Amino acid sequence: RGGGAKGGAKTIVEPHRHAGIFVARGKEDMLVTKNMAPGESVYGEKRISVENAPTTNEDGTTSATKTEYRVWNPFRSKLAAGVLGGLDEIFIKPGSKVLYIGAASGTSVSHVADIVGPTGTVFAVEFSHRSGRDLINMATHRTNVIPIIEDARHPLRYRMLVSMVDVIFADVAQPDQARIVGLNAHLFLKVGGGVVVSIKANCIDSTAPAEQVFAREVQKMREERIKPLEQLTLEPFERDHCIVAGRYVRSMS
Amino acid sequence: MAAVDYLLHESSVGYAIFEVVHQADTVGNRLKEVQDAAQDLSKFGKMVKLVNFAPWRDAAEALENTNLVSEGVLSDYLKSNLELNLPKTSKKKKIVLGVSDKNLAGSIKASFDGVDCETGETSEIVADLLRGIRYHAPKLLKGLQEGDVERAQLGLGHAYSRAKVKFSVQKNDNHII
Repeated sequence: RGGGAKGGAKTIVEPHRHAGIFVARGKEDMLVTKNMAPGESVYGEKRISVENAPTTNEDGTTSATKTEYRVWNPFRSKLAAGVLGGLDEIFIKPGSKVLYIGAASGTSVSHVADIVGPTGTVFAVEFSHRSGRDLINMATHRTNVIPIIEDARHPLRYRMLVSMVDVIFADVAQPDQARIVGLNAHLFLKVGGGVVVSIKANCIDSTAPAEQVFAREVQKMREERIKPLEQLTLEPFERDHCIVAGRYVRSMS
Repeated sequence: MAAVDYLLHESSVGYAIFEVVHQADTVGNRLKEVQDAAQDLSKFGKMVKLVNFAPWRDAAEALENTNLVSEGVLSDYLKSNLELNLPKTSKKKKIVLGVSDKNLAGSIKASFDGVDCETGETSEIVADLLRGIRYHAPKLLKGLQEGDVERAQLGLGHAYSRAKVKFSVQKNDNHII
């Protein structure tokens, strides 16, 4: 029997430095999130069930409850890769309102939904109809995800579906992605809110070296009144990718 | 630059028209203090006053209006609301309405003679006021329960997105070029 994650009884789950994220310590350590819809995998990812400490009921009996976690694969999710790479601040925590641009089929979105939990909301924007169908299906099992099938270049088209948010996460892989993030931030992001952007150098400019492309993108974000805080390459999970975290400072002139 | 008299806020629960009581001037708009004041309900509540809030009467109306608003078309429901709640105007005595979208602003100007529109793009003050309303909407709109806006967004988001996917002419993908 292969797979390091077998034998759930021995696995211990500890909270990660970032609230809402957990680490499962077994044969090998894995990043996990608490499953919002227990009993279901979204994209075939492994689930780990951990028994909680038994609680004593009023009539003296003890009842054991289980918490289910889902394994978050850093090779499939850039945010997970960023967390493992040691991002200082991801702004996404229990209770956050997140505008997720470039939601695709909703695999990463489902983990973000796990992190923000029932008191948070994820507004998941995706333009492609094909992945949009999967996204809508995923959202039917998680009531804190609001699926929006619309072009993120025209945020005004979905202004009725979105409130002010605490964080914008963008994974759009478009040449004008800094502009897209800016447009959305000016409309929907709270003053002082967080911005986390994943940048794929090849999608912006395939002729220039990656480092140069990243530097240019960070400069463009500054022009959109986003103050960059840190930049991190996603090696060894992705090649020529980086993730940039910043803060939206509207009063910056 | 022209002062803004009224603001239109479109949300998942309905249309709301606000009167601008006090507005910041252009020069100080980007100051930190001004931006912080907009996030403080006790201060922002003094800048705008709710004139009318018109909630959706049913889910079908909500979806229809959402689709029209996203296309920038003036719906009959919005038109009658504006007629009822904006003061009588003429070509000589115009009022300025702040709207988010320039397409919708065009549609409104075409139907109302005495109404001029400023959008978030033409005036940063309008953009900031509309941001403030969005920030405080659940508290500013009268008669809403805690969580109403979120519930409406969830239902409307699903309805809107399903319709998009369902009525797509091409069964396959939208290629982004």
